[in-house]
Amino acid sequence: MTAGGTMLAGRTSAPTGRLLRNELRWVFRRPRTIIALLLLAGLPVAIGVGVVISGGPPSGANESLVAQVAGNGLVLPVAALSSALFLLLPLVVSMSAADALAGESAHGTLRGLLLAPLGRVRLVGVKAFGVLAVATTAVALICVAGVATGLLVVGVDGDGVLTLSGTSVPLLPSLWRVLLAAAWTIVQLSAIGAVALAVSSVTEHPLVVLAVTVGGLIMIGVLSLIPALDWLQPVLLPTGWTAIADTLRDPLPWDTLLSSSYRAACYLLIGLSLTTARMVTRDA
Amino acid sequence: MTPAQEAGAVALGSTSGAGITDDSVSGAGRAAGRAAGRAAGRAAGQDDAPLPAQPEYAARARGLRKLFGRTVAVDSVDLDVPAGAVLGVLGPNGSGKTTVIRMLLGLCRPTAGEVQLLGRRMPEQAGEALPLVGALVEGPGFHPFLSGRENLLRAAAFEPAVPTALMPAVVDDALARVGLAGAARRAYRGYSLGMKQRLGLAAALLVPRDLVVLDEPTNGLDPAGTREVRRIIGELHRAGSTVLVSSHLLSEVEATCTHVAVLQSGVVIAQGELAGLLEGDHPVLEVITTDPDLALRTLRAAGVPARTCRGGIEAELLGTTAPTVIATLVRAGVEVSEARRRRTGLEELFAALTEDGAQ
Repeated sequence: MTAGGTMLAGRTSAPTGRLLRNELRWVFRRPRTIIALLLLAGLPVAIGVGVVISGGPPSGANESLVAQVAGNGLVLPVAALSSALFLLLPLVVSMSAADALAGESAHGTLRGLLLAPLGRVRLVGVKAFGVLAVATTAVALICVAGVATGLLVVGVDGDGVLTLSGTSVPLLPSLWRVLLAAAWTIVQLSAIGAVALAVSSVTEHPLVVLAVTVGGLIMIGVLSLIPALDWLQPVLLPTGWTAIADTLRDPLPWDTLLSSSYRAACYLLIGLSLTTARMVTRDA
Repeated sequence: MTPAQEAGAVALGSTSGAGITDDSVSGAGRAAGRAAGRAAGRAAGQDDAPLPAQPEYAARARGLRKLFGRTVAVDSVDLDVPAGAVLGVLGPNGSGKTTVIRMLLGLCRPTAGEVQLLGRRMPEQAGEALPLVGALVEGPGFHPFLSGRENLLRAAAFEPAVPTALMPAVVDDALARVGLAGAARRAYRGYSLGMKQRLGLAAALLVPRDLVVLDEPTNGLDPAGTREVRRIIGELHRAGSTVLVSSHLLSEVEATCTHVAVLQSGVVIAQGELAGLLEGDHPVLEVITTDPDLALRTLRAAGVPARTCRGGIEAELLGTTAPTVIATLVRAGVEVSEARRRRTGLEELFAALTEDGAQ
């Protein structure tokens, strides 16, 4: 047996499965990822406990999801997703995207990956997979913690779950609605992750990625309050974000859920294209 | 040898055993042959390739130029790295050594000019050339929250040539080779500068390579570490790998290299075999005499530049030869007790070259 024979001398790229496993291990070994995910999992617990302690729906309750939690527990995961979607989830996703390219560049490890060699397009694929894994895990944790807290602390009404429309659906189908809300949230987060990756590919300062992504979301929030800028609404990602409450209506109104998903898909495509274009020509 | 050690040694083609050394030499030879074959096929198919692939060069660059904004980092660099050589790229800080290396490795794209690495055009064919290349560029890059071993395992996962089952053995062997086995499981953030450098070296040596590129490999190393780097470079050279080392330390290049290229302000100002470059400088004749004053007067009258030194004089052999100088001195009645031609150190050569360039 020769050294050349033991080593796979002719191979020009490492197996994809190994790359993805390796990326997952790296992402989830990072202390800040773990801490951020644990804090997110605590969010539905905090909301649930808070609603119970305050003793039922606040007087003059508006139609907000959190107010509905008091009545039935399975609203809790959706309410938690909805409140995290506007800031906390984008923060976690862009943190992961910031580490994916800008962070690797700052540590000097991006050079190592390119020298291995890992093709530049493949690199974007591996990194996008890592960001998607963080987004999925974050959403899953919120859902699991939300369902558990909801059932334990709040409980469900009678033999079913009351929808926002006032009708009642049995427990199992209502779990599907939580899954639908989770899937929809992951699609929205993918869009944010792709844009954050694009920012991550042009800088070597992870903080810039966080600032641009989260700052951008805040900016969009401010812009959407100005009536004169209403014409901007159709192209802004958060425009359809109230649709998450639709997953709790009966019958399901699909139009906003779908249109917001299409919008997210456009952002995803643009973000990944920009990232790839930049990484292919980037000096490392 | 324990089974684990054996696996590691076989995997790495470690040079600790004579038989294994032979294997890795033949492995390198086969790879070079393969490269030559593919390159020849391409050259036949493409008429517009101005830089033909030649297997006798591990890396070549022609007319390399790189601009960062308006700053010219590297300008019209022609570089030949003969296969099997240890080439020292020597230059003061900021002379463009690292930029040249990054362009050779396809990490950045030259503004103008072309690069060939193991017969492949860079950066377009980086995927074919880089599995056979190990590199430590711009200092070691690792993640602080992982241990040294975990960092290397991550690096090994991205190496196409490493089979998944052999990753731990390959990593442990590389760690042992650079003397980090004892600290392998400590977090990288706790490593000293020298340990970080060693880990970077281990990453470059994970797989037997046709070409190893080491950018300032002895940065931060203690004298023992420096000796070990020299030993490793020697091992790689004997195993048939080509080595490219950059350094601003002249002694480093003089001790390890067969070839040298001197860079200054982004331009190659001298390049060639180390021995040839050393001869190229005008030599100095040291004459030990009890009468240096008479010797100086005599030589100056004869038009030979000379100065006093300890025990005698130094005559510069410019347009004259050692026998002529000695004959002139003896005819003038100077007692010559000893005369020897002193080979100028690379340090003087380097100083001379860079000073000339600065004027």
